[in-house]
Amino acid sequence: MSDDGLLLMNTEGSSAGKSSDVFLNMEGKRDVDKVSDFEAAVGMSRKWDAYEAGRETAESTIRQLKRPPDFFLLFSTIHYDKHGGFQRLLDGVWSVLPEGTPLIGGTVAGFINPQGCYTRGATALAVSYPNMDVAVGYGKNTKRNPKKAARQCAEMIKKGLKNSKYHNNFIFDIISGGLIPQIPGVGRRKVIRGVLSKIAIHLSNFSLIILQKGVGREEELLNEFEKYFKDFYILHGSSMDDGKATTNYQFIDKTVETNMIVALGINTDLTMDINQSHNFKEMKRFYVTKLSKDKRIIHMINNKPAACEVLTLLGWPDDFFDEKLFKRTFFCPVSYIDNDRLIPEIIGIIAGNSITVLHGIKNKEMAFLSASGKNLIEAVTYCLGSLDCKNSVFGLISTCDGRLETLGYKIFDIKEKITEQFGEKPFLAIYCGGEGIKKPNESFRYGNLTFNAFIMKKHLNKII
Amino acid sequence: MDALEGCGGMRDDPIARVLDDLLKFDDILACMVARRNMISVEPSGGTSSFKPEVYDIWDLIKRAMDDVFNVISQYSQVGLGEMEFRLRDYEVIFFVLPDTDNALVAIVPALANKGLLEVELENARRDIIRILEEKGDEKRVTV
Repeated sequence: MSDDGLLLMNTEGSSAGKSSDVFLNMEGKRDVDKVSDFEAAVGMSRKWDAYEAGRETAESTIRQLKRPPDFFLLFSTIHYDKHGGFQRLLDGVWSVLPEGTPLIGGTVAGFINPQGCYTRGATALAVSYPNMDVAVGYGKNTKRNPKKAARQCAEMIKKGLKNSKYHNNFIFDIISGGLIPQIPGVGRRKVIRGVLSKIAIHLSNFSLIILQKGVGREEELLNEFEKYFKDFYILHGSSMDDGKATTNYQFIDKTVETNMIVALGINTDLTMDINQSHNFKEMKRFYVTKLSKDKRIIHMINNKPAACEVLTLLGWPDDFFDEKLFKRTFFCPVSYIDNDRLIPEIIGIIAGNSITVLHGIKNKEMAFLSASGKNLIEAVTYCLGSLDCKNSVFGLISTCDGRLETLGYKIFDIKEKITEQFGEKPFLAIYCGGEGIKKPNESFRYGNLTFNAFIMKKHLNKII
Repeated sequence: MDALEGCGGMRDDPIARVLDDLLKFDDILACMVARRNMISVEPSGGTSSFKPEVYDIWDLIKRAMDDVFNVISQYSQVGLGEMEFRLRDYEVIFFVLPDTDNALVAIVPALANKGLLEVELENARRDIIRILEEKGDEKRVTV
């Protein structure tokens, strides 16, 4: 920590990602095609005042770079809403950040960086590299018209990268996550019983389309978005607050918005990789026999009312369906099978005998999943273990708030696992309300309770 | 534990500032460093800076805390890290300061997102441990 309280990374070592080394390859020969001039840095602030936090976050990040950043990713927890507001946060950032730097980001439940684990504060990842083209894009009204928002954002990025000569392609996107619906006559509740439940189901669409409060509809947006970027790697995270699901914000350049997708597109000569894991085990299968048109509300399971059947299959008492249910189901989410993969889904609102999930279900054959805290922590090793993180130049991780809420202070163990893999390389993990990945020429894989990691790698080439 | 003595009412106490930061969270209704029958360190504003909803149940919670501290004092030296209990609509969380009879104690609503709060309680515990170690070093230097 510097004398003026700014958080410093070690600028002497490789924690700031300076890759000016000459590498020995597996045969002990020197490779001269080093990743010259690549720099990545992670900074942060724990200040309460939004402007000061923004300023410190930007300053602590870019002071580690020798050259101005080519892009800047900014994340913060929701607390600045009451401590100056997010526009002040951005104002603080831009009091330091060079004019014209591409910036996107949003609010998250928490984050892990090389300095520690936090559920209050702001953090940033900045990268500078000459062999890279960058474009930002955005789309509005994601809950009202997700496809239009996807097209708007995609077209901006395509236009920005049109003349790029590089062939390794990556997009990072933040989409406004789900909000607990504000239903007239019902208010904001997670468990709705009796006559009100029927009203809630009918009016939830009103809340979603008119008020833009409801599910994030991220999968509808991403299904449209990916059509434009078939040969791209994509890492996705849904912005959120501190789990109350009442508000969330996205950042694009100098503005703060809501109900948007913001995205950063990169073409570069660096190679890259991405992976996803969750480490949940299948516990018990069931079959959805009645599903809503949007495929997010399960009305009947095994030909029985869904909520009752869930209690029966899990052996839970009736009073488990209370306002704490959300957290109980983090350890046993439901899932559907997609391309031989189990996709975990958090149980959302219980309305009468119907259960909502956050994404549209693709397959009526479903299962309950189960995981211990140990399983959740091991998912990190499974994900990162196949990614060659030690040869990366930086890592960006999108993971689920559900894992954070479940593990609590045990996420410090997660940080240890991440550090084991990355060593001194800069990384940033954000806790989101929904996440996913896409590999080139594959479909999007989104869900809940997953751990998703993207790395850019050193590209070893010529040998002398 | 010696380093905590005399900390209770000091305005510029760095541990009190750590507690002040925790109290800024909406869902942390009260926090302190305590041991059995004693609050070792309060936030800078004292117990009057606790959120008002805690006052109705404060006496009851204090009695329950003392019973919990009986357990903490027996097992803190052999690795007891955390404890918690739920009383009516509140949860009381204890993050034990290693090798002491003291714990960082926080009172939160029963429906709070405890996982997120625990991360900051752990950060606070680490800060407090670091402050105590620095105080210990200063005393050794002084001697």
